[in-house]
Amino acid sequence: MSDKPTLWQTLLSVLSSFFGVQSERNRERDFHGGHPVHYILTGLLMAALFVIAVILLVRWALSLAGA
Amino acid sequence: MVRITTITIGSGLGLALFAASAQAEWTVNLTPGVTDVSRSVFDLHMTIFWICVAIALVVFGVMFWSIFHHRKSRGAEAHNFHENTVVEVIWTIIPLLILVGMAVPATATLVKMYDSSEAELDVQITGFQWKWRYDYLDHNLDFFSNLSTPREQISNEADKQEHYLLEVDRHLVLPVDTKIRFLLTSNDVIHSWWVPALAVKKDAIPGFINEAWTVIDEPGIYRGQCAELCGQDHGFMPIVIEAVSRDDFQQWLADARADKQRVTAAAERTWTLDELMQQGEQVYLRACAACHLPTGEGVPGAFPALKGSAIATGEVAAHIDIVLNGKSGTAMQAFRDQLSASELAAVITYERNAWGNSLGEAVSPAQISRLLEPTTGEAEQ
Repeated sequence: MSDKPTLWQTLLSVLSSFFGVQSERNRERDFHGGHPVHYILTGLLMAALFVIAVILLVRWALSLAGA
Repeated sequence: MVRITTITIGSGLGLALFAASAQAEWTVNLTPGVTDVSRSVFDLHMTIFWICVAIALVVFGVMFWSIFHHRKSRGAEAHNFHENTVVEVIWTIIPLLILVGMAVPATATLVKMYDSSEAELDVQITGFQWKWRYDYLDHNLDFFSNLSTPREQISNEADKQEHYLLEVDRHLVLPVDTKIRFLLTSNDVIHSWWVPALAVKKDAIPGFINEAWTVIDEPGIYRGQCAELCGQDHGFMPIVIEAVSRDDFQQWLADARADKQRVTAAAERTWTLDELMQQGEQVYLRACAACHLPTGEGVPGAFPALKGSAIATGEVAAHIDIVLNGKSGTAMQAFRDQLSASELAAVITYERNAWGNSLGEAVSPAQISRLLEPTTGEAEQ
């Protein structure tokens, strides 16, 4: 239980917060062993990636319409 | 008591149903319209409607089945659990897919709606309290389109006709099979130009120019209204589009321009007092009576009376000035661009000689057209 979450697990936890569903087991693990700063930084990074993805999606949609 | 109430409600309902069937074209659904875009909008609306119906059937079906199947009399017992990640993931993913599925056709329609490029005809639409002005850019033609429903119908002194509050003195005439771009703006407050048959509803905002476009497929009359609450007469500034063939449109353009020249020329000749009074009454009822009332008595506290007023019975220069340039900070508009020189002269003459105002003098159209010269429409462009 007191194991520190790995980078991969931190990423998955941030993604599940984006999605809005997280299992109780992972939540316990994050809140016992995790450090808030790791989640905040990962969250900011993922939010930036999300914005870029939306921009690319819109560009792609517009390029389809323009063709 | 109860019986009386039931009968009243019953007959009221009967009347309502009768009224509904009396309006033959009345329907609950969106109109499919007469343009490619309006049909896409209609199809989109129907697609989403049927998706909603399917969701409702599935959700309520499962709910009712569960309630019935697991009823207490059959010995069903609640299964107590706190959370279930799998179920939560499923009920998040399914709506996500549905939303993406709806977004794809919606985006395609929106992109189409916003592509106003390569238009053949540009029409500038300006909202005024409470009328629209249409400006055929590149064709040197502009005019105001005013409500033409008679006052007697509005005040219930005459029967309301078929196009009650949806009729204007001058139609916006447009050619069919032509890409037309609308440039929307406003002179005073925010209006919204809405014609359901074209699926165009766009805000007209002072200081901004919004764009919309259409290609009308079928000739006909299409009616619309202002869709943004813009003051007292918000419901009295309808839109009437007359879609005609391309040839008829060219003919109409030529005729309308010739008419405009005739009106300008008319200002040069001499008018009699009777002529001015006669035209003045018509102009007054169309342009002034909404606020100052047909009796010239105004609305105390809101719109001043003209009957016996200091301006309408005083110095003529001050009267001409307020009609031409308006009065800032009040609802009194500047009419110099809204009416022709002869209309302005006629209405000022009328105001000075009607309802017991009896100055007996005529304001001549030539006198007004000299005042209009420095800032007439052409000089601005």
